[in-house]
Amino acid sequence: MADIKIENVTKRFGDFIAVDDATLTIRENEFVVLLGPSGCGKTTLLRAVAGLGMADEGRIRIGDRDVTYLPPRDRNISMVFQSYAIFPHMKVSDNIAFGLKMRKTDPKLIDKRVKQSAEMMHIEGMLDRYPSKMSGGQRQRVAVARALAMDAEVLLMDEPLSNLDALLRLEMRAELKKLLADINATTIYVTHDQIEALSMGDRIAVMKDGIIQQCDAPGVVYDMPSNKFVGGFIGNPPMNFMTGQIRQDGDQVRVNIGDFSLTPAPAMQPLLRDYNKEQIIIGIRAENMETFNTSTDDALKVSVQVVEPLGSQNLLTVKIGDGTVKVSTHPTFQIAPDEDVWLRFPADKIRWFDHESEMALYP
Amino acid sequence: MSTNQQARQKKKYNWAPYVLILPSLVYLAVFFAWPMVRGLTLAVWNDEANLILQVEASQNSDEAGKLPQGTAVAILDQQGNEVPVDELDEGNLQTEIWYQITGLGTDGAPISGWVPEARIRVREENDAGTPTGGSVRTKLGSDADPLTTIYAAENEASEIVGQLEARTEVTIDGLTVLEVWYLVRGVDEDGTTVEGWSPSRYIQVFEEGTNGRVDRGNSGALTSEYVQKMVNDRFFWPALGTTLLLMVLIIPIQFILAIIMALVIQANLKGQGLFLYVFAIPLAASDLAVGIVWFSIFTTNGYLNTILQGLGIIDAPVTYLSAETRYWIIIAIVLAEVWRATSIVMVIVVSGLQAISSEVLEAAELFGAGLWQRLRHVILPLLKPSLQVALILRTILALQVFAVVVALSGGDIVTVLARETYRQYFDFRNLNVAASFAGFILLISMVSAVFYLRTIRTQEEVGA
Repeated sequence: MADIKIENVTKRFGDFIAVDDATLTIRENEFVVLLGPSGCGKTTLLRAVAGLGMADEGRIRIGDRDVTYLPPRDRNISMVFQSYAIFPHMKVSDNIAFGLKMRKTDPKLIDKRVKQSAEMMHIEGMLDRYPSKMSGGQRQRVAVARALAMDAEVLLMDEPLSNLDALLRLEMRAELKKLLADINATTIYVTHDQIEALSMGDRIAVMKDGIIQQCDAPGVVYDMPSNKFVGGFIGNPPMNFMTGQIRQDGDQVRVNIGDFSLTPAPAMQPLLRDYNKEQIIIGIRAENMETFNTSTDDALKVSVQVVEPLGSQNLLTVKIGDGTVKVSTHPTFQIAPDEDVWLRFPADKIRWFDHESEMALYP
Repeated sequence: MSTNQQARQKKKYNWAPYVLILPSLVYLAVFFAWPMVRGLTLAVWNDEANLILQVEASQNSDEAGKLPQGTAVAILDQQGNEVPVDELDEGNLQTEIWYQITGLGTDGAPISGWVPEARIRVREENDAGTPTGGSVRTKLGSDADPLTTIYAAENEASEIVGQLEARTEVTIDGLTVLEVWYLVRGVDEDGTTVEGWSPSRYIQVFEEGTNGRVDRGNSGALTSEYVQKMVNDRFFWPALGTTLLLMVLIIPIQFILAIIMALVIQANLKGQGLFLYVFAIPLAASDLAVGIVWFSIFTTNGYLNTILQGLGIIDAPVTYLSAETRYWIIIAIVLAEVWRATSIVMVIVVSGLQAISSEVLEAAELFGAGLWQRLRHVILPLLKPSLQVALILRTILALQVFAVVVALSGGDIVTVLARETYRQYFDFRNLNVAASFAGFILLISMVSAVFYLRTIRTQEEVGA
């Protein structure tokens, strides 16, 4: 078993920089998710680790081996592809056995491994079938079983669930998570689905424009985004952002949203005092605002535009200044469109971002 | 919409595709299937196999029996019979003219009736050349009846109107040209003796006039005669051998080259577009032109000898394309065909390669397959459908190879099946044997196509 060290990897396609100086260490048996919008370079980075597209600069190490320029088959990795990429002309058993056969593994061991991985993926009854006679979900299972059979140090997964329908995806997500916890493999998992990332990963590396923005545990990435992009990309609904004006009020720094005045948490005060710009970005998650039907101290009065009852919560869209903010309320909270609601922003739940660099400010 | 309504709607048949395809079906039937069936029947059907004999000297009478073409017959009797004017120029057709005459009988009364041409000497004709008058001929021989019989109609079986003396002047009122019918007797295929009437056009009469043979029949029958002629033709086995040899040599070379070329094009090298164009250029050249190009290379004063002499490798020009160096001709044909037709295979293989998902190839690479293993375990199996198409196409084209062979060998030193078809058709004017050759080529083409379709099975892998 091995860890993966990605050191200053850059990959260009012509003038386009797909991955820009990415550095990431994945510990042994860790499950890291590369998350980002399409075109952010996450798949390119994964392919560089797989050896399917060599890095232009930087090094990639698996364990103590430098694999930067090794062909894929010498890296001791296995992979699940987005389109499954199972061989249509081979039976399921031959598909699963392919990698082992190429390595000239002992036929008895191949048989055993094929059975094991097929059982893990619950497709042991389909070993004699051709993929053309299988559904998308079943093919997905074959693709995973084929990767598992290799028993490689490193398991790479390129959006393995994105071609499945929503219900199946939900099912497979939990199944894969359990499976990957049981086997010993260092895993890199690429997805654009932030819920998948939050639910499965030990850590999430959020990428944008070829740059790794943040790499932390799901809770940290969610609660303490390193910049505005991460906050806006993760979470459903995403983090709300408002622009506030910095105002010195004696010893205290206060921030105005229109006429409404906020008092930042004491820990933030020294930081904001040194913050030499007039404007600052305030970020807060929908579920972190307190809502009241009646006028309350330190609460901002806003008008509700849309009410979306989602069962587990009521999602309100309210107007603040020129923008809108999503507010999550308890399903029992009674409100109708065009009614007024009072919002309170708990100081410890507010995240602060530099107005120019959009980087998060933490004490 | 209720389920009932849906069910009713499903039953409504969609005829539009069939209406749209109808013109092409008609076109196929009229311009392809029908002529081809007609052409191929020539190979196995003898239109003139049997002569049907009639009980009486008339087409309307019952059939007395059949005699195969070439049977010797005895001619027992003959009789004239009316015949359409446009059939008069058929070979072997014997005619007899009957004149309608009027003359004074022995009793001084005028007699009007029909008499065969042998009994009348024509003495007067009008401007159009139609006889208008003449006299009754004298019968030769001492014991002959001096009188000439006049009939009520233009055949000797009809009622006798009267008799005329020799040298009686007659006016000719009209004439009828009759075809002679023979009463013949011969032995048919079963060994039974058959006797009956036949029009003269089917019978070749020998000099004495009492014997003859069935020259051609008037009803067809299946025959293996033409196929036998083809097989026994002295060019048949060399042509078949060369055709198969060329197939065995050309097709593997073409497929290996085409797959390599296709992989080169798919390798995303710089200037891959140029490769495709360069590889595809020979597709535009006609096969005869290609044959002539390669002839100009291999001929005694050709480019090859000039270059070799220029390099000092040989002193005198070598004769490549002669009867003594047949293998050089084969080599030249193989080179020309490979040069000319490899790219069609390549185009098919390229399209097949493009259909293989790049992730599948990457998966093969990632799971440890080297270049050769990827080719063997992934690329070639997935190319199967394309290769099958290309193989069928190439085999059929190889069986039709003609112009290149003729250009390089003149078509005699080295000959192929298509060349023999042409020879039978144009040089020997033997339509039936030519059709046998053509049918034989069609047969091997179809057999090989079926063979490929059966051996390179892909159904269970691709099926829905």
